[in-house]
Amino acid sequence: MRVTQSMLSNNMLRNLSSSYNKLGKLQEQIDTGKKVTRPSDDPVVVMKSLGYGMQVEKVDQYQKNLGQVNNWLDSSEDALDGAGSILQRAKELATNAANTGSMTKDDRDKIKIELNQLQEQMRDLANTKVGDKYLFSGTMTDKPLYDKDNGGYPNLATDVPAPTGPIIDGYTSNVEIEVFDSVSLRVNTNAAEMFKDIDKLFDGLNAKVDATGEADDNINFGEAISNIDKQLDVVLTKRADIGARSNRAELMHNRLEMQEGAAKKQRSLNEDVDMEKAITEMITSESIHRAALSVGARIIQPSLVDFLR
Amino acid sequence: MGSTFMGLETSKRGLQTQQSALYTTGHNISNANTLGYSRQRVNMEATSGFPGVGLNAGTMPGFLGTGVTAGSIQRIRDGFVDKQFRDETNKLGYWESRTDAISQMEDVLAEPSEYGLQQSLTDFWKSLGVLSTDPENGGARAVVVERGVAVADSFNYIHKSLKNIQDNLGKEIGASVNTINSILKQVGDLNKQITDVEPNGYMPNDLYDARDNLLDQLSQLVPIEVKYEKSGGNALAIAEGSVTVTIKTKGSEGLKVVEGKEFAQMRTKSVNTSSDNVNPNGDIEGFYLVKLNPDGSDMKVDRNMVEETGTPTYIRHEDFLDQGKLKSLVNSFGKDDGKGLYPEMIDKLNLMAQKFAEKFNEVHKSGTDSKGDKGLDFFVPSDGTISASTIKINSKIQDDPSRLAASDSATAEAGNGNNAKNLGDVLFDKDIDLGNDSVQSFFSGKIIGELGVKGQQAINMTKNAGTLLGAVSNRRDSISSVSLDEEMTNMISFQQAYNASARMITVVDETLDKIINGMGVVGR
Repeated sequence: MRVTQSMLSNNMLRNLSSSYNKLGKLQEQIDTGKKVTRPSDDPVVVMKSLGYGMQVEKVDQYQKNLGQVNNWLDSSEDALDGAGSILQRAKELATNAANTGSMTKDDRDKIKIELNQLQEQMRDLANTKVGDKYLFSGTMTDKPLYDKDNGGYPNLATDVPAPTGPIIDGYTSNVEIEVFDSVSLRVNTNAAEMFKDIDKLFDGLNAKVDATGEADDNINFGEAISNIDKQLDVVLTKRADIGARSNRAELMHNRLEMQEGAAKKQRSLNEDVDMEKAITEMITSESIHRAALSVGARIIQPSLVDFLR
Repeated sequence: MGSTFMGLETSKRGLQTQQSALYTTGHNISNANTLGYSRQRVNMEATSGFPGVGLNAGTMPGFLGTGVTAGSIQRIRDGFVDKQFRDETNKLGYWESRTDAISQMEDVLAEPSEYGLQQSLTDFWKSLGVLSTDPENGGARAVVVERGVAVADSFNYIHKSLKNIQDNLGKEIGASVNTINSILKQVGDLNKQITDVEPNGYMPNDLYDARDNLLDQLSQLVPIEVKYEKSGGNALAIAEGSVTVTIKTKGSEGLKVVEGKEFAQMRTKSVNTSSDNVNPNGDIEGFYLVKLNPDGSDMKVDRNMVEETGTPTYIRHEDFLDQGKLKSLVNSFGKDDGKGLYPEMIDKLNLMAQKFAEKFNEVHKSGTDSKGDKGLDFFVPSDGTISASTIKINSKIQDDPSRLAASDSATAEAGNGNNAKNLGDVLFDKDIDLGNDSVQSFFSGKIIGELGVKGQQAINMTKNAGTLLGAVSNRRDSISSVSLDEEMTNMISFQQAYNASARMITVVDETLDKIINGMGVVGR
């Protein structure tokens, strides 16, 4: 084949430009740490990358949701712990009050004052707030369970006897938080009924302490005490329920951490550059490029012109 | 025996011929870097011997040579390689233009990145996740609205950018048609000059080069076929004659665009007639051909450049081969059957925006806002129906985020975020008329995935066509391009032949001197 200067220089230009292209691509990969930067680089990798990216973001969001779950559960647990203590104290007081022999009116008045305080505190516990939310108001999280201004607890469908006025379902509705694709955890503790019952219990107790004159030592506190025991049991059951759900949340936490690791690993395997490989390739390409340049410089230069005369 | 001065005559021819060869060498060297120049060679021929044949011709022991003449100056070129070169050029033209169109699309969609549509959808989903756990929080509501605005903005932006590029592609079609028309006119003009010169026995090599160069350029834009018509008169046997150019189409019959000095001009036929008939004013139906009347007005012609009365025959876009930049631009810009890279992508985005908005609205309306009112349409069209260009957030919700229907209960329940969760699920709902895809998988698969596959194919084809063109171009250069070494070698041999002819003249001069001045002087 007849070879001319223009062919040599065209070839050299073509080769240099393709080797520049390759260097450019490798530079981009090393700079960004990603194998691909546009869909045409590798459609499959890009498609998967969008999917894995979404997966990672989802797990991230679910982990945040789980934080909320723990917030709810821990605060509810604390509140119910408080409720248990109050009931215990109430039981002690009731037992004291029942001790008819040594109780004077003064003593009973003191007990009554304390019982009143306990009732108030119980109402405060029913209105426990975390952030903006009333924890025990079901989905009516912006409304306190015990309405101090209008007096009392809301009317519930389960109230016996049937309440007058509107029944608001929201106070007994559950709040659920999604912690994984179609896995939701109930985070609220449905305690409206319980607090209402406890409140009634205190009302009864107060009435009894109030009604007890010095002359009358035969008032039966036994029933009241057993009622307190029943409510203590209810509180305990609710705490056990919260405990069980905390365990589930803990389990989900572990699972999400695993999921996070897996999703990130998959994403990384899919789209991250293998640095050692990329840098090795770059060095190889670079030396090829250098060789091409120096060979080009030697070949393009001379022609017969240089050697005549 | 020849005349006294025959030797001088013979050597003079030698001088002249070698000189013209030297000049041609100079021309070659000067044009070593001229694009489209093919090297030239002086075809030297020995002149007819003495004596000539005839009754009265003297007898001699044989022909006596009378020297050399420059028979013709010829371009060194291979028509077959030219044909190959043009075939590869129009493939490369097609794929290069397609790669370019797809690459611009990729730039607009910007996936994978942190500012593409995917990211805004992800952010939107996350904000709904936050809202579902914290529905009483006004901040969470405001964030959902803002992220929703970002989703709508992404759709609007992508749509607008794609439309802009599509408009530019339209302008490029107009520019390409103008280039084609200008080349056709120039080829016609060159044909005229060439056919004027050839009958006189000349070889207008540089005109041929100019014409071939134009045909190379034309083949980038449209697939062409060329045929040659010999000139009459005293034309040399190796003269090329005038070129007939045909644009190849599907089916056996092409479109004749240049024949002799006659040339056609191309006109674009788009859905809305454009004022200049060159720049498309909408989806492209096809092209048609005209000849220019002396007053510059169009005369409609058929496939054979014969005047056609009545409605002209449109050559529909689908009749054109998928070769050359022009067809590639049409395929990207869009055709009257609604197909085309850009219209199809815009349609897909519109569909995605529409289906997403419809389902999202449906779920939103099934929920209740924080005041206990039923949800409104979350996404509304700014005009007409919802599409990628018109999608926006209902201004009532944007002004008052408490109208976000996060709750799934019939009455106001501040802590109920179930509907926010359902809203987030819309992104992954496969039951929304997107052909078994969810919005998420439609975007990643049908939009980004398919774009990537098309882009990858275009890049590979461009590389292949580029490699093939490089090989053919090398072959052509191997035949036609100037080698300085070769020219130098030739220069030396022509120079030496010139010198030797000159020395020959000296010899003849000396012999004549002997006869004229040295003879018949006995005893002087």
